[in-house]
Amino acid sequence: MASRSAAVGNSSPVVKWVLRLLVVGYLLMLVAWPTAYVVKHTFADGFTGIQDALADPDVVHALKLTAQIAVISVVINTIFGVGMSLLLVRTSFLGKRALSVLIDLPLSVSPVVVGLALVLVYNGRFGWFGPWLEDHGLQIIFARPGMIMATCFVILPLVIREVVPVLEELGDDQEQAARSLGANARQTFLRITLPGIKWAVVYGVVLSLARALGEFGAVKVVAGNVGGQTQVATVLVQQKYQNFQQETAYSVAFMLVFAAVLCLIVVALLRPKEHQS
Amino acid sequence: MSIEIKGVNKSFGDFVALDDVNVSLPTGQLTALLGPSGGGKSTLLRIIAGLDSADSGTVTIEGTEATHLPPQKRNVGFVFQHYAVFKHMTVAKNVAFGLEIRKRPKAEVAEKVDELLRLVHLQQFAHRLPSQLSGGQRQRMALARALAVEPTVLLLDEPFGALDAKVRKELRDWLRRLHDEVHVTTVFVTHDQEEAMEVADEIVVINNGRVEQVGTPDQLYDEPANDFVMGFLGETTKLGGTVLRPHDVHLSLRPQVPGAHEGTVARVLRVGFEVRVFVLTDDGDEVTVTLTRTQARQLGLEQDTRVWVSAVAGATTVDPVAAVV
Repeated sequence: MASRSAAVGNSSPVVKWVLRLLVVGYLLMLVAWPTAYVVKHTFADGFTGIQDALADPDVVHALKLTAQIAVISVVINTIFGVGMSLLLVRTSFLGKRALSVLIDLPLSVSPVVVGLALVLVYNGRFGWFGPWLEDHGLQIIFARPGMIMATCFVILPLVIREVVPVLEELGDDQEQAARSLGANARQTFLRITLPGIKWAVVYGVVLSLARALGEFGAVKVVAGNVGGQTQVATVLVQQKYQNFQQETAYSVAFMLVFAAVLCLIVVALLRPKEHQS
Repeated sequence: MSIEIKGVNKSFGDFVALDDVNVSLPTGQLTALLGPSGGGKSTLLRIIAGLDSADSGTVTIEGTEATHLPPQKRNVGFVFQHYAVFKHMTVAKNVAFGLEIRKRPKAEVAEKVDELLRLVHLQQFAHRLPSQLSGGQRQRMALARALAVEPTVLLLDEPFGALDAKVRKELRDWLRRLHDEVHVTTVFVTHDQEEAMEVADEIVVINNGRVEQVGTPDQLYDEPANDFVMGFLGETTKLGGTVLRPHDVHLSLRPQVPGAHEGTVARVLRVGFEVRVFVLTDDGDEVTVTLTRTQARQLGLEQDTRVWVSAVAGATTVDPVAAVV
């Protein structure tokens, strides 16, 4: 760090200031200004905008649904993510590298494609599993299961990519010691492994929660988007905005931004603790 | 016999770590598995503990067939080279781990932990985290943790390998004294022959996945089964086709015994109290002779001095041709 900043310091102060201005300007134009604009519009008439929005049953339903889907998806993803990380780090099997690459797929594939793929497999009329599942009373597409699946797909790598490096660094010495002292697999996991990866898991959970709350593309494709039934907050923002209810759109958008910022603050507060332990 | 190992084989891919190993380790003794790195001794220890499984063969611990038992059912204590401390637990909690897993009453656990911490001289560190301890203290804590569950056998994998020379020597003496107090059957892995000779009641020499010899330190030193064992336990030199120790070579300025080899001093090297003389015999052997300073001074050795060298009476010798298995 020190040597790098010294290298920059060698160049002329003009270049230094231009570079700083460029970075700050870039962030301002791209992130800060648009976000501030949303906040400004939300509170244009004080709190009335938010109060009006919360009086709309569709808005309340959409926010509740978003929270529900996000929490369920994050719980599933955490359990799966920790299990998957253990599998990837502690065991070796054929196709492990391929699996590791596959886990990163959600980062590179467009969420809309994810939604479409789920529709193709699970829709009730011509999907591979859909008709059979619907005959047995389980509707996936245009219902909550599909929305949860889409969200899970999108946040899949977030816990795993946090936990895997920590598990690798931890090594399996402590786990072996616990086994030799009489602990079974469950006791070893709960008493030794989990405390070791605790902060990585928390960090992964917060990241995936923020991502799940903001998911739009994949969920929009698989959800019915019927207001008051299968419409999540992000889709509602788009719909309200297009229906010239900008006030409501800004208010809901602000609430989503607020939740995301809250998640980031939690992460920022957790980080130093992670280094201390 | 406390631990019986019969016909154990283990390979990692193409690499044969253990090749048909048969060993019996006696109850209540301190046994060293000695050999060069990569010779298979750690693998054997891990197979005894159940941390690795053998490809074939059986392991019996105190009469219990343990080949397919998971490590937590074998009642062995294991001490790792890099301590494997539980980083997020205090020293006392680390030591208590095995007892808490066994759901012992709290009072009993506290009493036992206290007793063990006193045994390893860590009672004043009970509430510290392992990161606040030195390497030697961590390893003593790991030892207390392993002893807490009252194991049938205590297994130590290069326990002092990561420590500096001085602490190493202290802990070595301390382990010997501890064993005399506790009397638990103990097996430790080391590649340091001095450590093995100093501490162990019995030594198993392992090389290339095979057991080369089993015996007391004296037996191994005095009656090595082959030139590998002889070479691993101390310095060797060659004289007239036999392998022997440099201090078992007699050197004189005149032919005193029949069959002595005549040669010239190539180099004289003084290391502390001992003097190493390198003699080039007329038969083409390069013989190393170890003398004390006094002996060397009396003989007045210098480069190019003509000397006669022979094996002293009763010297430990090995015929290298016969030793090639």
